[in-house]
Amino acid sequence: MNLTSNNTYFEDFEVGMRIKHARGTTIDEVENQMLTKLVMNTASGHWNEHVMKDTPFGSRLVFGFITASMVIGLATQDTAENAVKELGLDKIRFKKPVFHGDTVYAYTEVLSMESTPERDAGIIAFKHWGVNQKDDVVFEGERRVLLKKRPAER
Amino acid sequence: MLSNPDFSTFKPWRRGNRYEDFELGQVFDHHWGRTLTAGDATLFASVALRYCPLYLNAEYAKSEGHDDLVVDPLLVLATAIGLSVEDLSEIGGPFLGVNEVEFEAPFYPGDTLTCTSEVVDMRESDSRPDTGIVTWRTTGIKQDGQVVVRYSRTNLVAKKGRRS
Repeated sequence: MNLTSNNTYFEDFEVGMRIKHARGTTIDEVENQMLTKLVMNTASGHWNEHVMKDTPFGSRLVFGFITASMVIGLATQDTAENAVKELGLDKIRFKKPVFHGDTVYAYTEVLSMESTPERDAGIIAFKHWGVNQKDDVVFEGERRVLLKKRPAER
Repeated sequence: MLSNPDFSTFKPWRRGNRYEDFELGQVFDHHWGRTLTAGDATLFASVALRYCPLYLNAEYAKSEGHDDLVVDPLLVLATAIGLSVEDLSEIGGPFLGVNEVEFEAPFYPGDTLTCTSEVVDMRESDSRPDTGIVTWRTTGIKQDGQVVVRYSRTNLVAKKGRRS
Protein backbone atom coordinates (compact mmCIF):
# COMPACT_ATOMS: atom_id res chain seq x y z
CA MET A 1 0.00 0.00 0.00
CA ASN A 2 1.37 3.39 -0.96
CA LEU A 3 0.72 5.81 1.89
CA THR A 4 2.53 8.77 0.34
CA SER A 5 2.22 10.41 -3.03
CA ASN A 6 4.53 9.69 -5.92
CA ASN A 7 5.49 13.31 -6.61
CA THR A 8 7.20 14.27 -3.36
CA TYR A 9 10.55 12.48 -3.71
CA PHE A 10 13.99 14.10 -3.96
CA GLU A 11 13.92 13.94 -7.77
CA ASP A 12 10.68 15.90 -7.90
CA PHE A 13 12.44 19.10 -6.80
CA GLU A 14 14.95 21.37 -8.49
CA VAL A 15 16.93 24.33 -7.24
CA GLY A 16 15.00 27.56 -7.69
CA MET A 17 11.60 25.83 -7.77
CA ARG A 18 8.89 27.98 -6.15
CA ILE A 19 5.72 26.51 -4.66
CA LYS A 20 2.52 28.06 -3.37
CA HIS A 21 1.10 25.33 -1.16
CA ALA A 22 -2.47 24.21 -1.76
CA ARG A 23 -4.11 25.16 1.52
CA GLY A 24 -4.19 28.10 3.89
CA THR A 25 -5.27 27.92 7.51
CA THR A 26 -6.84 30.30 9.98
CA ILE A 27 -5.00 30.10 13.29
CA ASP A 28 -7.75 30.19 15.86
CA GLU A 29 -7.66 30.52 19.60
CA VAL A 30 -8.07 26.76 19.91
CA GLU A 31 -4.83 25.94 18.07
CA ASN A 32 -2.69 28.61 19.69
CA GLN A 33 -3.99 28.27 23.24
CA MET A 34 -3.85 24.48 23.23
CA LEU A 35 -0.45 24.09 21.59
CA THR A 36 1.24 27.01 23.40
CA LYS A 37 0.16 25.56 26.74
CA LEU A 38 0.98 22.00 25.60
CA VAL A 39 4.60 23.13 25.19
CA MET A 40 4.43 25.15 28.44
CA ASN A 41 5.30 28.55 27.06
CA THR A 42 4.47 30.69 30.11
CA ALA A 43 4.65 34.18 28.53
CA SER A 44 1.55 36.25 29.33
CA GLY A 45 1.65 37.67 25.80
CA HIS A 46 0.15 34.34 24.72
CA TRP A 47 -2.07 33.61 27.74
CA ASN A 48 -3.62 36.75 29.14
CA GLU A 49 -6.15 38.74 27.10
CA HIS A 50 -6.78 41.09 30.04
CA VAL A 51 -3.11 42.15 30.24
CA MET A 52 -2.65 42.29 26.46
CA LYS A 53 -5.66 44.59 25.96
CA ASP A 54 -3.63 47.41 27.54
CA THR A 55 -0.56 46.94 25.32
CA PRO A 56 0.04 48.33 21.82
CA PHE A 57 -0.82 44.83 20.49
CA GLY A 58 -4.31 45.03 21.99
CA SER A 59 -4.75 41.26 22.14
CA ARG A 60 -2.95 37.98 22.79
CA LEU A 61 -0.31 36.97 20.25
CA VAL A 62 0.09 33.61 18.60
CA PHE A 63 3.35 32.03 19.85
CA GLY A 64 5.84 32.36 16.99
CA PHE A 65 6.67 28.68 16.91
CA ILE A 66 3.00 27.79 16.58
CA THR A 67 2.90 30.08 13.53
CA ALA A 68 6.17 28.55 12.28
CA SER A 69 4.94 24.99 12.87
CA MET A 70 1.62 25.64 11.08
CA VAL A 71 3.24 27.39 8.10
CA ILE A 72 5.76 24.55 7.82
CA GLY A 73 2.75 22.29 8.40
CA LEU A 74 1.03 23.73 5.33
CA ALA A 75 4.22 22.87 3.42
CA THR A 76 4.80 19.46 5.02
CA GLN A 77 2.81 17.26 2.66
CA ASP A 78 4.69 18.68 -0.32
CA THR A 79 8.17 18.89 1.24
CA ALA A 80 8.39 16.12 3.84
CA GLU A 81 5.79 13.45 3.17
CA ASN A 82 8.62 11.19 1.98
CA ALA A 83 11.21 12.48 4.46
CA VAL A 84 13.75 10.17 6.08
CA LYS A 85 14.10 12.90 8.68
CA GLU A 86 14.01 16.64 9.13
CA LEU A 87 17.51 17.87 9.88
CA GLY A 88 17.16 21.42 11.08
CA LEU A 89 16.02 25.01 10.72
CA ASP A 90 17.85 28.31 10.37
CA LYS A 91 17.27 32.07 10.05
CA ILE A 92 13.82 31.87 11.66
CA ARG A 93 12.26 35.35 11.77
CA PHE A 94 8.84 36.60 12.83
CA LYS A 95 8.19 39.74 10.80
CA LYS A 96 4.73 40.75 12.06
CA PRO A 97 2.57 39.70 15.01
CA VAL A 98 -0.06 37.02 14.38
CA PHE A 99 -3.38 37.21 16.24
CA HIS A 100 -6.11 34.65 16.82
CA GLY A 101 -8.25 34.58 13.69
CA ASP A 102 -5.47 35.48 11.24
CA THR A 103 -5.08 33.26 8.20
CA VAL A 104 -1.70 32.10 6.89
CA TYR A 105 -0.59 30.74 3.53
CA ALA A 106 2.73 28.99 2.88
CA TYR A 107 5.23 29.64 0.11
CA THR A 108 8.45 27.70 -0.48
CA GLU A 109 11.58 28.03 -2.60
CA VAL A 110 14.17 25.27 -3.10
CA LEU A 111 17.53 26.78 -2.12
CA SER A 112 19.85 23.82 -2.64
CA MET A 113 19.93 20.08 -3.22
CA GLU A 114 22.68 17.71 -2.21
CA SER A 115 22.82 14.02 -2.99
CA THR A 116 24.04 11.77 -0.19
CA PRO A 117 25.24 8.18 -0.40
CA GLU A 118 23.16 7.01 2.55
CA ARG A 119 19.69 5.48 2.31
CA ASP A 120 19.04 6.55 -1.24
CA ALA A 121 18.16 10.02 -0.11
CA GLY A 122 19.28 13.60 -0.57
CA ILE A 123 19.26 16.80 1.46
CA ILE A 124 17.10 19.68 0.28
CA ALA A 125 17.29 23.15 1.78
CA PHE A 126 13.98 24.99 1.58
CA LYS A 127 13.14 28.62 2.29
CA HIS A 128 9.62 29.04 3.66
CA TRP A 129 7.45 32.11 4.00
CA GLY A 130 4.19 32.47 5.90
CA VAL A 131 1.91 35.19 4.53
CA ASN A 132 -1.24 36.46 6.25
CA GLN A 133 -4.63 37.50 4.82
CA LYS A 134 -3.31 41.05 4.25
CA ASP A 135 -0.35 39.76 2.19
CA ASP A 136 2.11 40.59 4.97
CA VAL A 137 4.97 38.17 5.53
CA VAL A 138 4.63 37.05 9.16
CA PHE A 139 7.24 34.28 9.20
CA GLU A 140 10.25 33.25 7.19
CA GLY A 141 12.88 30.61 7.71
CA GLU A 142 15.04 27.93 6.19
CA ARG A 143 14.68 24.21 6.74
CA ARG A 144 16.73 21.16 5.73
CA VAL A 145 15.09 17.81 5.03
CA LEU A 146 16.65 14.44 4.20
CA LEU A 147 14.24 13.30 1.51
CA LYS A 148 14.00 9.82 -0.04
CA LYS A 149 14.81 9.26 -3.66
CA ARG A 150 12.08 7.54 -5.64
CA PRO A 151 12.24 3.79 -5.06
CA ALA A 152 12.62 1.57 -8.12
CA GLU A 153 9.13 0.09 -7.79
CA ARG A 154 7.38 3.49 -8.10
CA MET B 1 -20.83 37.16 56.23
CA LEU B 2 -17.05 37.27 55.96
CA SER B 3 -15.67 40.07 53.84
CA ASN B 4 -13.07 39.41 51.15
CA PRO B 5 -9.44 40.04 52.08
CA ASP B 6 -7.73 43.14 50.66
CA PHE B 7 -6.02 41.55 47.65
CA SER B 8 -3.85 44.65 47.14
CA THR B 9 -1.89 43.64 50.24
CA PHE B 10 -0.97 40.22 48.80
CA LYS B 11 2.65 40.05 47.69
CA PRO B 12 3.10 39.35 43.96
CA TRP B 13 5.24 36.27 43.28
CA ARG B 14 7.35 37.50 40.38
CA ARG B 15 8.56 35.24 37.59
CA GLY B 16 11.08 35.87 34.87
CA ASN B 17 14.37 37.72 34.42
CA ARG B 18 15.28 41.15 33.09
CA TYR B 19 18.25 42.31 31.08
CA GLU B 20 20.31 43.14 34.20
CA ASP B 21 19.79 39.59 35.51
CA PHE B 22 21.82 38.08 32.64
CA GLU B 23 25.58 37.87 32.28
CA LEU B 24 27.75 36.46 29.55
CA GLY B 25 28.49 32.75 30.08
CA GLN B 26 25.66 32.31 32.60
CA VAL B 27 24.05 28.87 32.38
CA PHE B 28 20.41 28.04 33.14
CA ASP B 29 19.06 24.57 33.86
CA HIS B 30 15.44 25.13 32.87
CA HIS B 31 12.57 23.95 35.00
CA TRP B 32 10.30 20.90 34.88
CA GLY B 33 11.31 18.82 31.89
CA ARG B 34 8.59 17.27 29.79
CA THR B 35 7.78 13.69 28.87
CA LEU B 36 6.24 13.77 25.42
CA THR B 37 3.65 11.01 25.05
CA ALA B 38 2.20 9.58 21.87
CA GLY B 39 -0.89 11.66 22.70
CA ASP B 40 1.14 14.89 22.80
CA ALA B 41 2.97 13.98 19.61
CA THR B 42 -0.08 13.09 17.54
CA LEU B 43 -2.10 16.02 18.92
CA PHE B 44 0.62 18.49 17.97
CA ALA B 45 1.38 16.97 14.56
CA SER B 46 -2.34 16.82 13.72
CA VAL B 47 -3.26 20.33 14.83
CA ALA B 48 -0.10 21.89 13.33
CA LEU B 49 -0.85 20.13 10.01
CA ARG B 50 2.39 18.18 10.13
CA TYR B 51 1.03 15.43 7.92
CA CYS B 52 4.11 13.29 7.49
CA PRO B 53 3.32 9.64 8.30
CA LEU B 54 6.51 9.28 10.37
CA TYR B 55 4.79 11.49 12.97
CA LEU B 56 1.26 10.08 12.74
CA ASN B 57 1.37 6.44 11.63
CA ALA B 58 3.29 4.12 13.97
CA GLU B 59 3.25 1.22 11.53
CA TYR B 60 4.73 3.39 8.78
CA ALA B 61 7.41 4.68 11.18
CA LYS B 62 8.26 1.04 12.09
CA SER B 63 8.54 0.16 8.42
CA GLU B 64 11.11 2.98 8.16
CA GLY B 65 13.26 1.42 10.89
CA HIS B 66 11.94 3.23 13.97
CA ASP B 67 10.64 1.45 17.09
CA ASP B 68 7.57 3.69 17.31
CA LEU B 69 6.14 6.94 16.00
CA VAL B 70 8.73 9.66 15.67
CA VAL B 71 7.85 12.72 17.76
CA ASP B 72 7.57 15.72 15.43
CA PRO B 73 10.88 17.59 15.83
CA LEU B 74 8.96 20.88 15.74
CA LEU B 75 7.16 19.73 18.92
CA VAL B 76 10.53 18.94 20.53
CA LEU B 77 11.80 22.40 19.53
CA ALA B 78 8.65 24.24 20.68
CA THR B 79 8.77 22.36 24.01
CA ALA B 80 12.44 23.28 24.50
CA ILE B 81 11.56 26.92 23.91
CA GLY B 82 8.50 26.66 26.17
CA LEU B 83 10.54 25.24 29.05
CA SER B 84 13.08 28.06 28.67
CA VAL B 85 10.60 30.97 28.61
CA GLU B 86 10.42 31.69 32.34
CA ASP B 87 14.21 31.96 32.68
CA LEU B 88 14.92 33.72 29.40
CA SER B 89 12.03 35.62 27.91
CA GLU B 90 8.94 35.74 30.12
CA ILE B 91 9.26 39.49 30.65
CA GLY B 92 8.60 41.75 27.71
CA GLY B 93 10.50 41.03 24.58
CA PRO B 94 9.68 39.55 21.22
CA PHE B 95 11.77 37.02 19.35
CA LEU B 96 14.35 38.61 17.09
CA GLY B 97 15.40 35.30 15.61
CA VAL B 98 16.19 31.64 16.02
CA ASN B 99 19.19 30.25 14.18
CA GLU B 100 21.15 27.05 13.68
CA VAL B 101 18.46 24.62 14.85
CA GLU B 102 19.85 21.09 14.58
CA PHE B 103 17.72 18.01 15.26
CA GLU B 104 20.46 15.65 16.36
CA ALA B 105 18.57 12.49 17.29
CA PRO B 106 15.03 11.15 16.95
CA PHE B 107 12.70 11.59 19.91
CA TYR B 108 10.17 8.85 20.64
CA PRO B 109 6.92 8.78 22.66
CA GLY B 110 7.78 8.39 26.35
CA ASP B 111 11.13 10.15 26.04
CA THR B 112 11.69 13.04 28.45
CA LEU B 113 13.16 16.37 27.39
CA THR B 114 15.18 18.68 29.64
CA CYS B 115 16.95 21.85 28.53
CA THR B 116 19.82 24.12 29.41
CA SER B 117 20.81 27.50 27.97
CA GLU B 118 23.95 29.61 28.06
CA VAL B 119 24.09 33.37 27.54
CA VAL B 120 26.37 33.77 24.51
CA ASP B 121 25.83 37.46 23.65
CA MET B 122 24.21 40.52 25.18
CA ARG B 123 24.11 44.17 24.30
CA GLU B 124 22.02 47.30 24.82
CA SER B 125 19.47 48.23 22.19
CA ASP B 126 20.31 51.49 20.36
CA SER B 127 16.74 52.10 19.26
CA ARG B 128 15.01 51.07 22.49
CA PRO B 129 16.92 52.22 25.57
CA ASP B 130 14.55 50.39 27.93
CA THR B 131 15.53 47.01 26.46
CA GLY B 132 18.57 44.90 25.71
CA ILE B 133 19.26 42.16 23.19
CA VAL B 134 20.29 38.76 24.52
CA THR B 135 21.31 35.61 22.64
CA TRP B 136 21.28 32.18 24.25
CA ARG B 137 22.48 28.82 23.02
CA THR B 138 20.03 26.16 24.14
CA THR B 139 20.53 22.39 24.26
CA GLY B 140 17.73 19.86 24.71
CA ILE B 141 18.65 16.39 25.96
CA LYS B 142 16.69 13.24 26.61
CA GLN B 143 16.76 11.01 29.67
CA ASP B 144 19.85 9.07 28.58
CA GLY B 145 21.85 12.28 28.09
CA GLN B 146 21.66 12.22 24.31
CA VAL B 147 21.38 15.66 22.70
CA VAL B 148 18.21 15.87 20.61
CA VAL B 149 18.10 19.55 19.64
CA ARG B 150 20.39 22.58 19.71
CA TYR B 151 19.62 26.14 18.65
CA SER B 152 20.43 29.81 19.20
CA ARG B 153 17.71 32.29 20.12
CA THR B 154 17.84 36.09 20.31
CA ASN B 155 15.20 38.21 22.06
CA LEU B 156 14.60 41.75 23.13
CA VAL B 157 14.63 41.68 26.94
CA ALA B 158 13.13 44.40 29.14
CA LYS B 159 15.38 46.26 31.54
CA LYS B 160 14.46 46.87 35.17
CA GLY B 161 11.98 49.68 35.64
CA ARG B 162 10.04 48.90 32.53
CA ARG B 163 6.54 47.73 33.27
CA SER B 164 6.51 44.68 31.06
